[in-house]
Amino acid sequence: MTHRSRGFTRVATSALLAVIAFVFAFPLFYLIATSLKTKADLFAPVPSLFPPAPTIEPYLSVLFTRGFAGLLVNSTIVGLSATVLAICVAFAICYPITRLPATPRLRAFVLNWALSLRFLPPVAVVIPYFAIVRTIGLYNQLPALILVYTIFNLPLAIWMLRGFLDEIPIEIEEAALVDGASRWYAFRTILLPLSRTGILAVVIIVFAFDWAEFMFAFVLTATPQAMTFPVGVQGLVTQFEIIWNDMAAGGVIAILLPLSLMIIARRHVMTGLTFGVIREK
Amino acid sequence: MKLSKWLAMLVPIALVASACSSTPSAGTASKLTIAAVQGVEDAGLKALAPMYKQQKGVDIQIVEAPYDDLYSKLVTAFKANDSTYDLVMMDDPWMPKFGTDGSLSDLGPLGITQDPDVAQVVWDVGTWPPPRGPVPPSEKSKPKQLLGVTIVGNVEMFMYRNDLTSTAPATYDDVLKNAKAQNKSGSVAGYIIRGKATNPVVADFLPILWSQGGDVFDENWNVVLDNAASKAAISFLVNDLKGVAQTDPGSTDASDRDKIMANGQGYQSSVWPGEINSAVLDPTVTKVAGKVTFIPIPAGKSGKGVGMMGNWLLGVPKASKNQQAAADFVKWMLQKDTQMTYAQNKGIPSRTSVLKDASLTAANPYFSVLADALQAPPNWRPRTDQWNAVETIIGTHLNKALTGGETADQAATGAATEIRTLMKGAGYPTQ
Amino acid sequence: MSGTGVSVAPAHPFAIGARIRTAWMVRSRQERLVYQLLLPVFGTVFVLATIPFILAVIQAVTSDSGRFIGLANFARALGNPLLYEAIKQTAIYAAIALPIEILGGLGIALLVHRTVRSNAVRAAIYIAAMIPIVIPQIAVGVIFRLVYAPDYGILNVLLGQTGPNQPLWLSSPPLAMIATASVDIWQWTPFVYLVMFAGFQTVPSESVEAAQVDGATNWTQFRHIELPYLRPLLLLVLFFRIADVIRVFDHVYVLTGGGPGTTTQFLSLYIYRIGFKFSDLGQASALAVIVMVAMILFYTVVSRFLPADRG
Repeated sequence: MTHRSRGFTRVATSALLAVIAFVFAFPLFYLIATSLKTKADLFAPVPSLFPPAPTIEPYLSVLFTRGFAGLLVNSTIVGLSATVLAICVAFAICYPITRLPATPRLRAFVLNWALSLRFLPPVAVVIPYFAIVRTIGLYNQLPALILVYTIFNLPLAIWMLRGFLDEIPIEIEEAALVDGASRWYAFRTILLPLSRTGILAVVIIVFAFDWAEFMFAFVLTATPQAMTFPVGVQGLVTQFEIIWNDMAAGGVIAILLPLSLMIIARRHVMTGLTFGVIREK
Repeated sequence: MKLSKWLAMLVPIALVASACSSTPSAGTASKLTIAAVQGVEDAGLKALAPMYKQQKGVDIQIVEAPYDDLYSKLVTAFKANDSTYDLVMMDDPWMPKFGTDGSLSDLGPLGITQDPDVAQVVWDVGTWPPPRGPVPPSEKSKPKQLLGVTIVGNVEMFMYRNDLTSTAPATYDDVLKNAKAQNKSGSVAGYIIRGKATNPVVADFLPILWSQGGDVFDENWNVVLDNAASKAAISFLVNDLKGVAQTDPGSTDASDRDKIMANGQGYQSSVWPGEINSAVLDPTVTKVAGKVTFIPIPAGKSGKGVGMMGNWLLGVPKASKNQQAAADFVKWMLQKDTQMTYAQNKGIPSRTSVLKDASLTAANPYFSVLADALQAPPNWRPRTDQWNAVETIIGTHLNKALTGGETADQAATGAATEIRTLMKGAGYPTQ
Repeated sequence: MSGTGVSVAPAHPFAIGARIRTAWMVRSRQERLVYQLLLPVFGTVFVLATIPFILAVIQAVTSDSGRFIGLANFARALGNPLLYEAIKQTAIYAAIALPIEILGGLGIALLVHRTVRSNAVRAAIYIAAMIPIVIPQIAVGVIFRLVYAPDYGILNVLLGQTGPNQPLWLSSPPLAMIATASVDIWQWTPFVYLVMFAGFQTVPSESVEAAQVDGATNWTQFRHIELPYLRPLLLLVLFFRIADVIRVFDHVYVLTGGGPGTTTQFLSLYIYRIGFKFSDLGQASALAVIVMVAMILFYTVVSRFLPADRG
């Protein structure tokens, strides 16, 4: 490759990235802009890109007047619990099929079953889930959502973790086992740290899915005691009216909490995303 | 390892947190839970709840869901015989489904009696099987029961700009004539069509269909949507009115129509009482304050104008454990003084004397029209548990015709064929 | 019998027997451990996840009153011409959205992986990619309605197209398809990126370095070193996205309500309407079972050509 063509490639790449970044960012920008508009701004004959007179009224309306702040608490509890539970279960399932001599058939069965969980359209299982959850007395309670979310995120968690565990050489662990360490110790001190990237990716994606889930949250809850934030937000589109600014504020609020969690945990995000972490040393 | 510690810390927190939040809800008669539709329709109900607590010591918990979600929620709850809700709000076209399924309690034995101050049609619409019009074959032998009481009087009406023309359109011919005269491409739409697929476009179309002498079914459940009068009505909507309508009728829902009207970019349209306050009469956004008049649906080729009823009813699910307490709330809500307070707090009452009360007219200029519309009486959507399906079929075809995907004639024939198949499959003597 | 095993003469015949027995016991202990570890958790989850599925199948083969009606619901489901319309429109939607999402997500992951060196920037991009996924679907639909709607949508204003002849993004058939698919692309390309970028981190750095020493071009390095490591995740992403296209609902509902006509009445909306608008949960369940079986068949075929396990 010549110098010139490399330079051209770099410019083209940067231009491409800039376009992608713009297309990605624009709806987010417009979401924020809309969340700061008044109802009168939204009724302007020609829409404006920026809020003419920014107001935080929609945020106050969503959090306090409508009382969605309580729903955020529910969402957080459900999101965190279901994420942690999904990872624990996924580890419990992935460990034996990747680190121990499971037969290929067993391995294939578990993996295919896990993926197939995602294949059933939710409309059909909504009523069965409703019936089950009521039967076991968990209707309108957060543990029902935690349980359902855990199950529905297993396909992703199992497949991703399994991909990462497969790449960690079994010899590293065996060396520790030979030295007399217990399996639990080897798992905790060797496997867990080495699968950091995988865990991080699974945590982020699974939490994001749990956080935004609507259908099961809607069907399995009845009152604000157990409703999640997306269920509340759904009500801002009524039969006759879309409450644009409150809806946009709801969208921004839904972003802020996971974002702050990530920023708090940024050190882990950064170390999780280093190059070729697995084979080093 | 840091990450594992982090995780190890999270597990107990998460579990404890979820355990703490899971205190089961107590189901005593000191509290009633109402499933309500989200939006202006339950504003009055929310205002009454604290009053009831004060007067009777009963907590009213209102759980809201948007229109379509409320329906699926009720279907699911009734199917599972769930006792969470003591009272449910329902749109009147849902009544046949819940009546057929036997999901609701008869309010008569619980002490609710008909009151002459409320229009007869209001009682009729809450009665199942329906006291007039065709009755579904499976329902003919059932005794009549009062399953729902109207808490939001709602009849589709008509609005036009009184500053642009001085006289109200008396007929749909006037509507079209005025629309042509007022339509200024790009600035004012001669007529605003609410044309979004399924429910929205059907709500806009049925008053036109009925007024022009067409219908969906005849008295024996035969489909007449493809007879000459019905076809003419469809053509009137998708050709004549569309020719003088806003830019994109096919994606327009109620909120879009109200925005166009409030901005002074439209001349006339049909309108539900429930949507008036959120834009056209909202002083913070409207640019047409005092310039919009509300009238009953204009007359069509049938010689009369036929409004469409969209009353919101309150019913008591059979599964509720607080039957009498729930019915007592309904009774209290219907009292005249409660209805006055209700109307002062954005509720839309159904009592004639309240709708006609002079002290309420200034804030609610359409109340009196609504009272007359209820006495007229308006049409209700056909009383069949298949209505949601019929509506979806018609609404899909009308939307297709409005967006140029088929002709008015094709829409009529296509929808009629699908409805016939549906109704025959459901055991109706449809031809 | 392996060569080395035979060539080394055992000192004591008893000893070799013990070694074999020990090896067997070790293996059997490990194999037992597989089941001991797997059964309690997997068994519980398997049962929990399978019951609703079985109930859905029961719902599909019984009438409302609980009577067994065989395959009548399946016959009705397959006999409805609107089903094939919904499948066709869903396929078009998928054909527009999925290639862009998967190739785009993979491409951006590769680009960031190769060109961005700073850990902080990588973390920032990674966190940003999470944003579209955490927004409630309905809010995504609403914001895109404010972008695409006629007259009050910002897109036509920015394009300078506000007259009577402005593009009707929500009600002309090809544009409505593009508008709804674009929302999908905006929301889910980042998801593909999240998975694939994490996948790139599993590629052992020695293999990459060795290839670079051998003078591999960017392409050969990707094709022969990295892609094989990404294959299971690629399969996961592909089937996740296909499965999720069969769930798209809220943004379509807000944007077009399935219109114009049935142009954007995708499978999920169709099944929802059959279930709740047509009050035919039996037929809706039958449809869901059909979709699931079709997906499993499709998966079986594809995973034969694109095995999840390397080697």
